[in-house]
Formats: sequence, structure tokens, C-alpha cells
Amino acid sequence: MALLELQNVSRRFGGLSAVDNLSFSVAPGEILGLIGPNGAGKTTVFNLITGFIPPSGGDIRFDGKPIAGLKPHAVARRGVARTFQIVKPFPHLSTLENVVLAALVRNASRAEAVAEAERTLELVGLSNRLHTPAADLTYANQKRMEIARALATAPKLLLLDEPMGGLNSHEVDGACVLVERIRASGVTIVLVEHVMKAIMRISHRIVVMNQGQKIAEGTPAQIVQNDAVIAAYFGKRRA
Amino acid sequence: MKRAIPVLAVVLLFAAPLVVKNPFFLDLGIVVLMWATLGIAWNLLGGYAGQVSFGHAAFYGVGAYATMILYLRLGIAPWYGIVLGGLIGALISVPIGYLCFRLRGPYFSLATLAVAEIMRLVATNWDSLTAGPMGLLITHLPPVNFFGTPINWERKEPFFYLMAVIAVATVLAALYLTRSRLGAYLAAIRENEDAAESIGIDTTRAKVVTLAVSAFFTATAGGFYALYYRYLDPDAVFPISLSIETVFIAVVGGLGTVAGPILGAVFLTTFAELFREHFAAGHLIFYGLCMMLVIRFLPDGIWGRAARWLARRKEKAHGAA
Repeated sequence: MALLELQNVSRRFGGLSAVDNLSFSVAPGEILGLIGPNGAGKTTVFNLITGFIPPSGGDIRFDGKPIAGLKPHAVARRGVARTFQIVKPFPHLSTLENVVLAALVRNASRAEAVAEAERTLELVGLSNRLHTPAADLTYANQKRMEIARALATAPKLLLLDEPMGGLNSHEVDGACVLVERIRASGVTIVLVEHVMKAIMRISHRIVVMNQGQKIAEGTPAQIVQNDAVIAAYFGKRRA
Repeated sequence: MKRAIPVLAVVLLFAAPLVVKNPFFLDLGIVVLMWATLGIAWNLLGGYAGQVSFGHAAFYGVGAYATMILYLRLGIAPWYGIVLGGLIGALISVPIGYLCFRLRGPYFSLATLAVAEIMRLVATNWDSLTAGPMGLLITHLPPVNFFGTPINWERKEPFFYLMAVIAVATVLAALYLTRSRLGAYLAAIRENEDAAESIGIDTTRAKVVTLAVSAFFTATAGGFYALYYRYLDPDAVFPISLSIETVFIAVVGGLGTVAGPILGAVFLTTFAELFREHFAAGHLIFYGLCMMLVIRFLPDGIWGRAARWLARRKEKAHGAA
């Protein structure tokens, strides 16, 4: 059974259909890439799944139960964690405290929360920045911190919104390894990303969106040869 | 040693009326304690959770009217009425919270301001309950014995002790709340509400609960006002200026600290009372001036700066040892 399932999900903002009749599902243990040109509706899809925006129509199921219309905190408590395209740290709190808060919500004791936070921060490579205020971290490190914070909620599904934006080529390699390690620990991942080399390398399957609609779905090898995808990114081939 | 200071402060507070007999200074002490209570209660929401309310007069007024009406209509002695008034204030804060917390930032602040004004207009026009702009008057207080000694309500001392108990209770509640799990959630909400939701914090609920606690103590202070002055009218207990002065006290003292509003109340109220001697609203000019200076030079308030200075000195002392 699919871990996450979207059926005919739509979201209109006034006259604009940001997401239009979108359906796809995510299997447990999978890394699903969600790609598309700017404005295709990828971040809106994340906001719909996590409850930040209620859908105008359609059905979203997580673990078989409907989650459309739930508040973000309720979705998070069911095991869906996310990062943000434009980072949202708790800026004046230390890096450690940012992540501790996420662990605390699950009724862990303070000591357990700190241990959990230190573990996830080590996983993302921030052990040497525990006491730095989050606002003082580099942008790349703030992105890592957000991943650690999301992991500290002990999610089943992790939605990563452009985790590699602004990273250099060497850092992208590191991020790919990290995403694969997270998956290996049993967390299913949906990844929005513009860095093609990364998405092609680590995704098991890819869903391509354009103007709110799904235009293609398949393995990375299938996607690179898909005419609709090529047309969406580069324009139509002249006959 | 560190624990001894607050205990000593409480002991000194309760011993003060044994030494200070001058009614002017006792009155000043009462007013300072009342503003400290208002500042601490406001700060729970405004400082810790970052939800700046410009409408706390709503709860103050409800507490004051509830205490008054419970006594005049139902004969419930005002010392019980103060607590009941606090509970009524907390109760009405829940729907107000669910309504206003739909808005964020400045929109939230304006909504709270509007709520306080609505309450003032209701109190002005609901003649059958509040006697409208005429106000309500307590002509005499029921006799009460304190361990066999009858209390003399014509003196300031009983009021000083009553207000001191309310203030200390507020401090204890604030210390407890800010060190609890809820306190951690409030910090997350203040820092970034979306991120707080994304890690599973029910931000609306956390804010509503905090508002209820804040409203309880604010309404309690309002109930005390009714008992102390024995007269109130809508403009006296629902004024915009009360909401704003409460904000001043917390900001000047130090946002997001328990000690801050205490310092803010001591500092601002003392000067305000001295100004009042000479010209009526002069203290507001002084408040405005303080606010500007604090924002420019002490953005964490008086206590925020002092706490950092103490921490640095301690660090140095450790380094030297």
C-alpha cells in the first residue's frame, strides 16, 4: 500500500489553478523526485500535503487515512516532516535548541530530546555548530539544520523542498549521500529539486509537473527521454 | 545564594508595611505591584510568545466589573470576587483568542485593540448590568477577620498585602509556565510560527492557553482595582492607555523575562506618580521618552541588558579563577 497518495488534488488561487487535478503516490522506502519549471506548483503540493494550504478539491491520504484539511501540526504529528524552500529556522535559538524543540514535541523528556537532537545534527554534519544561533549559520548549514529538525520529529515521510539550492558541486555530492542515508534509516522521501544531476542520481521515480499538472512520471531514465518533459523545459522541438 | 535573592525580596516585600507607614508610599507600592502584575501577565503572551496585544484592558475591565457586580448583585465578598473575576476574564479570553489568533503580527495587535474598545462600549451601553457611564460604587466593604483580628479597610496595609499576594502568585505562575514545555513552545512560536507548526506544535492552542493565563492575572488586577478604589466606570477600567502602558512596562523592563516587567513597573510607575503631582498626563510624555530611549539604546530592556552584563561578569570571574 502507498504511504502517501494524492488523488485529483486541486488548488485554485482566485482564477489561477496552482495545482490542477494532480494524482500520484509514494511507496514506503522510496525516494520520489518532484520536478518542473519554476511556478509549476511543486512547493504548493508540499503546502497541500502538510496542511499549510487546504486543497480546493481532491483527496490526500497518508498511511491510508485522509489528511487533507488537517492543520500543519496535526499532519506533522502523524509522521510527515518537511523543510522549507526558503529556510525557516528559529533564528535566535541555538542550532541545538532548534532541533531539541522538534524532539520535545513527541513527549520525549528534555534529556532524551537533547540526545535525539545531537544524533540528528551529527547525521547532517553540524555537530561542531551546536551552540551557534541558527541565524548565524551559513545558508547551506541552515538547510542542514532544517533537515535535522525535521528528522527529530521521527517522521515516516520527509518532504525536502530544494535542499540543495545554493550548494556548490562538492556540497551537492554530500547532500546526495545524506538523503540516501536518511532513506536507508527507514524514512520515505519526496524531494523537490532543481539540481538535475542530484535528482537523477538519487530518485527512484520522478513526477514532472508543469503549470499545476502532472505531465510525466517514471524512472529517471524514462524522464530524460520524455518529449513532454523536454518541451516543458526547453520549448517544443521545431519540426 | 542565587535562590536566596528572590526569597529575600518576598520577605522584604511583606515586611515593608511594618516600616513604611506613610500612606503615599504604601499607595505607590500598591500601584507598582499592580503594574508589575499587569506587565508580567502581558509579557507571557507579548514577550515570550511574541504576540503583541494592545487590548489587555479588555481583561482588566472584565475582572473589575465582574468583581464589582458579583459583590453588589450577589453579595459575593470582593476577595472571592477577585479570583472569580480572574476566572471570568480567562473564560472570555478563550473565544477572543480563537478569533484574534487567526491574525498575525500587526493585524493581531489591532484586533486586540478593537476587542478592548468593544468591551468598553458594551460596558458603557449595557445599563442594566453595568449602570453605564455612571459607574458602580461600593459604599461599604463587609467586615472580615484575619486570624481573629478585624481588618480595617480604611487603611492601606490590607490592600498592600492583598496586592502583594496577587503579584507574587503572578510571578510564580510566570516562572512555572515559562520553564514548562509550553514555555518552550512559546519560544518556537515567537521565533517562527510556520516552523513551529511544521514540527507538530499546535500553535493556536498554545497561544490560547497562554492568553487565558495572562487574562486571568490581568483580570485579577482589575478586580483588585475595583476593591481598592471602590468605584469604577467604563473609561476607568477599559482605557486604551492601560493597554499601552502595560506594553511600555514590559518593553522598558525587558521582553520575555519575568524580572523585566517588575523593574519596568518600579521605574516607570515611580516616576509617573512623581510627575502626576505636577501635571496630569505628564507621565505619558515620560513613558514615551523612556520607550524611545530603550528602543534605541537597550533593545532587550533594562533587565535584558542587566542580565547580559551579569552573565559576562560571571564568565570573567570564572575565567580568572
